[in-house]
Amino acid sequence: MELADTLRPDGDPKGGVLAHLERLETRMHRSRKKLEEPQTVQAEESALVTEIQKLRRLRDKLRAEVKRRQAGFGLLHILQVKASTANVEPDQTWEITEQEVLERKWENLKAVLQAYRFTGLSGKLTSRGVCVCISTAFEGNLLDSYFMDLIVQKPLRIHRHSVPVFIPLEELSAKYLETNIQHFLFTLCEYLNAYSGRKYQADRLQSDFAAFLAGPLQRNSLCNLLSFTYKVEPRGQSFPLCARLLYKDLTRTLPTDVTVTYQGMDALSTSWEEQRASQENLFRTKPLHHVFTSFARKGEMLDMSLVS
Amino acid sequence: MQRSSQEFSRGHISAKEMDETVAEFFKRTILKIPMAEMMTILKAWDFLSENQLQTVNFRQRKESLVQDLVLLCEKKRASLNDAAILDIVYTQFHRHQKVWDVFRMSREPGEDIDLFDMEQFKRSFKKILQRALKNVTISFRDAEENAVWIRIAWGSQYRKPNQYRPVYVVYYSQTPYAFTSSSQLRSNIPLLGQALTIASKHHQIMKMDLRSRYLDSLKAIVFKQYNQTFETHNSTTPLHERSLGLDINMDSRIIHENRIEKERVQRVTQETFGYYPQPRLEFAQYKLETKFKSDLNGGILAEREEPLRCLIKFSSPHLLEALKALAPAGIADAPLSPLLTCIPNKGMNYFKIRDK
Repeated sequence: MELADTLRPDGDPKGGVLAHLERLETRMHRSRKKLEEPQTVQAEESALVTEIQKLRRLRDKLRAEVKRRQAGFGLLHILQVKASTANVEPDQTWEITEQEVLERKWENLKAVLQAYRFTGLSGKLTSRGVCVCISTAFEGNLLDSYFMDLIVQKPLRIHRHSVPVFIPLEELSAKYLETNIQHFLFTLCEYLNAYSGRKYQADRLQSDFAAFLAGPLQRNSLCNLLSFTYKVEPRGQSFPLCARLLYKDLTRTLPTDVTVTYQGMDALSTSWEEQRASQENLFRTKPLHHVFTSFARKGEMLDMSLVS
Repeated sequence: MQRSSQEFSRGHISAKEMDETVAEFFKRTILKIPMAEMMTILKAWDFLSENQLQTVNFRQRKESLVQDLVLLCEKKRASLNDAAILDIVYTQFHRHQKVWDVFRMSREPGEDIDLFDMEQFKRSFKKILQRALKNVTISFRDAEENAVWIRIAWGSQYRKPNQYRPVYVVYYSQTPYAFTSSSQLRSNIPLLGQALTIASKHHQIMKMDLRSRYLDSLKAIVFKQYNQTFETHNSTTPLHERSLGLDINMDSRIIHENRIEKERVQRVTQETFGYYPQPRLEFAQYKLETKFKSDLNGGILAEREEPLRCLIKFSSPHLLEALKALAPAGIADAPLSPLLTCIPNKGMNYFKIRDK
C-alpha cells in the first residue's frame, strides 16, 4: 500500500526510490526496537528486583543489630538472646564485650559505695581531702546523717561540717584530730549516735505517748536533761509522778541519774515507796519510749481483764 | 493615760478589773497587728480560745475589732504577762523590724557537762535582773529547736517599766550565742549580759561585730549552717553544673570573646562563695585607720605621718549575693578582697583596720 504512495504524479524515480528505502529502513528500526524493549525492561526489572532483595536483607540485619544494642547489657537479656539465637543459629556464640563487663562492675561498685553509709561511718574523696559521713541510728532505725569536710593538709583541718553547735566538736578536734584521727572519728560517732538516740526517745515520748503526760516535756538541745509529769494510766485515777532524767554521760542513751517523785507528796507509805523506786529503776534500765510502751501494754491487759 | 492608785512593779492585776495601763498596752499591741495576720497571731498566742475568737466579728473596722478583743481579754482576766507574750508573738512574726546584735559567751575549759534546765535558766535569769532592778518586766516564750525568746521591759528605781521599748533576747540552749534586739537604752546591756551569762552557766560574754535585721541569717552564720551541701555517693545533684548566667552554648551566632577569662572568674567565684544561698546581711562597715599609700608622687594625702581615718560602708538589700555577683558582672576583679569574702566565715560585718 505504501508502494502506491511513492508513485508521484510527476513520476520522479530518484526521490521516490530513496525515499521509499528510507521509509523501509525506519520501519525496520521501529519494529526491531519493539522486539528489544521487553527484553531490556525485563533485564532492568530483574536487576531492580535483586537490588530490592539485597536491601531488604541488609535492613533486617541492621534492625537485629540495633535491637541487640538497645536492649542493654543485663545478664538476663544476654541469656535471652543466647536462647533465641541458639534456636536460630546454634553455632553462633554470644560475646560479652569487655566494655559491658566493666560497666557492670562499675554499677556494682557504685551501689556498694552508696550502701556503705549503713555502716555508720563512710566517706567520699573530694578534690582537697575527704567528706566524712556519720549516719546515726538507734534500735535499728536510721536517723540523721552528719557530714564533715576534711582538708588533707598540714595541719589537717575541718573545712566545714553539719554537726550541731552543741556537740563539743572543737574540743574533740583540738584533742584528737591531728594525733589520732581514728579515735577522733569514733568518739564523734559515739557522741552523735548517743545524741540521736536520746533525741529519738524524747521525740517518741512527745508524739506517741502524749496521753500519759500531764504537761509539756521539758528538754534541752542535747536532750541530756528531761523533766516531765506523767501518769501510769492515761485516763485512770492514779497519782501523777514527776520524773527527772539526767544523762551525764553524753556517749550513752540511758540516763545516769533518775529521780521520780509522787507529785506533791513527801512522805510515802512502804507500798507507794516501792512503786516509786520501781519506776525509777524502769527509767534507769530501759529506753524512755519502751517504759511507756510497757505502761500502755499493762493498761491494755487491765482493760482486757475488766472486760472479761 | 491615767495611772491607777496602786503601784504595780510586777504586773499583778486587781481582782476586779484590768489595770488601765495594761488595757492600754493590750490595745496598742493588738493595733500593731496587720488585719491580714490578726487571726494567725491570735491563734499562735493561744490565750483566747477558738470559741471565744468566733464570737468576735473580724470584718468590722480595726478600731472596733480591737475594742472587742480587749474586752474579751479583760473578761478572761488577762495579765500584763499575757500582753507581753502577745508582744513576743508579734515580734516573732515581724523579727525583721528589729536590728539584732550577737553576743558570744564562753566558759572555762574543763567544766562539767552542761545539764541545761530551761526552767532553772528562766528562774535564775529573772532573779538576777529583779535583784538589780526593782522595776522590770520579764517574759518568756519557748520556741522551736530548744530556744527561748525573752522580753524585757526596763524600768528604773522610781519608774515603772516602759512596755513600749522592750528588749528581746533569743537564746538557743547549750550554745554560746545569744541574739538581742538593739536597744536605745544602752545602760542596761551589761546587766542583761551578766544575767544571761550566769543563768546559762558561762563565765564571760562579749559582743560580736555582727549585726543584721535577719535573725535567721545571723543564726546561720554563727552556727555555721549556711554551707550545707556536701559531696556524698548518694547525691544526685551535680555540683559543678550551675553557671552564673553565662550560657556558652546559647546561640551559635554569639561569640564570647573573653571566654577563658569569664570561665576563670566564674570558677573563682564558685570556689569563694560556694553553691549555697548566701545568708542575708544589709551592710558591711570598715573603719580604716591606716596610712595612705599611693603610687603617684605628690598629692595632698601622700607622705602624711598620721593615719587616715575613714569609714566605708557597703549597703545592699542582700549584701553577700551582691558581692558574689560583682566579679561575674565585670565590676570587680576576681578574686575579691578577703576583707569582703571573710564576712560569713569570721562572723563579722564590722571591721576596724589598722596598720600592722
